[in-house]
Amino acid sequence: MKHEKKFSSQEQQVSETQSRQTTAREFASVEELLRFDTGQTTVPPAIADRLQKSAAQINPPAARPWWKNLFGSKS
Amino acid sequence: MDNPIEAARARQPVLELAPDGFSELYQAHSREIYYLTLRLLGDDAKAEDATHDVFLKAFKKWDDFRGDASARTWLYRIAINHCSNLRQSWHSRNLVTNAADAIWENAAAQYDSPLRVLETKELGERIQRTLDNLPEEYRLLLLLVANEELSYDEIANLTGQSPDAVRGKLHRARKAFAAHFQKTA
Repeated sequence: MKHEKKFSSQEQQVSETQSRQTTAREFASVEELLRFDTGQTTVPPAIADRLQKSAAQINPPAARPWWKNLFGSKS
Repeated sequence: MDNPIEAARARQPVLELAPDGFSELYQAHSREIYYLTLRLLGDDAKAEDATHDVFLKAFKKWDDFRGDASARTWLYRIAINHCSNLRQSWHSRNLVTNAADAIWENAAAQYDSPLRVLETKELGERIQRTLDNLPEEYRLLLLLVANEELSYDEIANLTGQSPDAVRGKLHRARKAFAAHFQKTA
């Protein structure tokens, strides 16, 4: 039982070490570090949605021509 | 499309009502503008608002943009001005004087080694804490120089200094960053 426990503890240690090894990094310069950080950053999709709505208020889509309403043309 | 950055760009919704070229402008530069505002303002929600406002200003002025500067430099200028206004008269309060420069030079002189990071998971928070401890001018210069597409001349132009002044301050800014970064580990 004790042996089993020790084995699982060793296993956990190896796993943690591997995990640390995979995430450890060295950056040669501040710029390199910041570029990595930029690459990890995701632009929230909400910005484009909000921008779309704001742009629509400034520049509303052209009104449907009156003759299309009259004749019901879809083109 | 193997590049995750390109894949993320491709997922951005296209601005349907935007004039010709504006949608491409957003797709090409939204990440760098969002990152700049995020690290200057230090807050996700503020960065989201600021990025929206920057592109909305650009949208309003799009017809006037004649391409005298690159679109990137143009957007960066709008973003820097916007963040400066948010942080209230950035220039008058935060330009680093020569005396202050010397203090930073001495304090950070020992840090020339590479930056080692054991855990990249919380790297963004560490970087933010480090930048928050630097004078705003250093913070801005480091964020600008990290973009390989911006030349020293463009950075000088954006920050209203000579390229030589930018180089000198960047040297001290890098050391100051490294010194603070080690403390955040």
